[in-house]
Amino acid sequence: MTDEVQPYRVDPISEPEAATEIKALLAACDLSYEATVEVFVVLRRGRRTIACAGLDKNIVKCAAISPELQGESLSLLLMTEIAHLAHERGHTHLFLYTKPDNVDRFRACGFYKVVEVPGVVAFMENTPIGVRGYCASLKTLRQPGAVIGAIVMNANPFTYGHRHLVEYAVANCDHLHLFVVAEDTSFFSYRDRYAMVKAGISDLPRLTLHPGSEYMVSRATFSSYFFKEKNAAADSFTAIDLLVFRNFIAPALGITRRFVGTEPFCKTTNKYNRDMMHWLRRPDSPFPPIEVVEIPRIANGEVPISASEVRSLLAAERFAEIGRLVPPFTLAVLRDKHRPGRTASQIPDPPTWVENALSKKGQDSYEDS
Amino acid sequence: MKIVREALAGTLESSDLMVRIAPRDAGLEIVLQSEVIHQFGAQIEAVARETLEKLGIDAAQVIIEDKGALDCVIRARLQTVVRRAADEWTADWSVLA
Repeated sequence: MTDEVQPYRVDPISEPEAATEIKALLAACDLSYEATVEVFVVLRRGRRTIACAGLDKNIVKCAAISPELQGESLSLLLMTEIAHLAHERGHTHLFLYTKPDNVDRFRACGFYKVVEVPGVVAFMENTPIGVRGYCASLKTLRQPGAVIGAIVMNANPFTYGHRHLVEYAVANCDHLHLFVVAEDTSFFSYRDRYAMVKAGISDLPRLTLHPGSEYMVSRATFSSYFFKEKNAAADSFTAIDLLVFRNFIAPALGITRRFVGTEPFCKTTNKYNRDMMHWLRRPDSPFPPIEVVEIPRIANGEVPISASEVRSLLAAERFAEIGRLVPPFTLAVLRDKHRPGRTASQIPDPPTWVENALSKKGQDSYEDS
Repeated sequence: MKIVREALAGTLESSDLMVRIAPRDAGLEIVLQSEVIHQFGAQIEAVARETLEKLGIDAAQVIIEDKGALDCVIRARLQTVVRRAADEWTADWSVLA
């Protein structure tokens, strides 16, 4: 009567009954169902769902095995199916979050630990040369100096506020590494944001502009999903991102100081800045502490300049006011991309060197001096 | 033959291996993880290199997650992953055995 275990793929939207079974299994495993999962793999024995794992793009979520069947190496079959399904969907580099107790089980499934918040959560990827390979390429861009600075910015869009932060940082370190968040979930595309930063800082010395990566304020490292399940851990949803920075990126480039602007408007960013003080500096780490320098935003009159303010002005097409908050190139991008009914003659072309820089591929960074 | 896209073959189950391949500008980079790496790591890598050489692949990144596979299984999985990742299949099956 041995019912064989068979894998199936489940679209949770079009198969509500299967989704209900997944929810029940997750509940039995003390995990919550994630609505962001696009597709599941389930293992069934007979008609019973005994294991499941889901994909939210390149992040594996909701991985669970029926409690009484754990130890039957179902995880190997489950994760094999997930790997092939993800590959078919164009995702070769996978990430997952799990409890530290499960690290060995996922290790057997080809996942490697990147960082861990002890007792709370471990962050893993499905390659032994992921973050280490990235850092090996960063190492080739090391610069001499006693104080090496870093800024990670989204620049959505790039304003005079960002410019002020970069100017301050350059004046207060021997070399500055500037990273543009690569995740394409913002109002402005990565391509546009990178171009705006590149144009906005092109005259500044001792600065390396880096493309962003999946290891920095990305969906993978900044995934708050895990933590909203448990209030006790809600405080550490930024920890993974900051630990990757401290344990891998900063040592690769020799970064000793990270610069941020104060954040009076956005709660998430404000919390990120607060948590930075904790995770980058705490002494009980084998990695050197990183000084965090938070500088006040510059104001245009009474109101501090913020990208969100620019976006609301843009919605109202108040370009004259925007022009006081952003550099000319940013303004040109905003007009070009977002002004309806425009005519070509009104918009200056972006400088061609920006286009050329952006068409380069790979992990090169662009030296500006 | 040239590796022009990423591909995946095999499983994580015992006595098998999962192998990923990706394009690379020049040279072979083989990253091997195995439960029996201390006893058979060198042998597994030699089989992998020999198989790729017979297929005429001289530039690729190959990541192997081995679960104690026999040599014949390693060859089969590598041939499959190359077939999935190559621009065109020009190898002669008879020389691969």
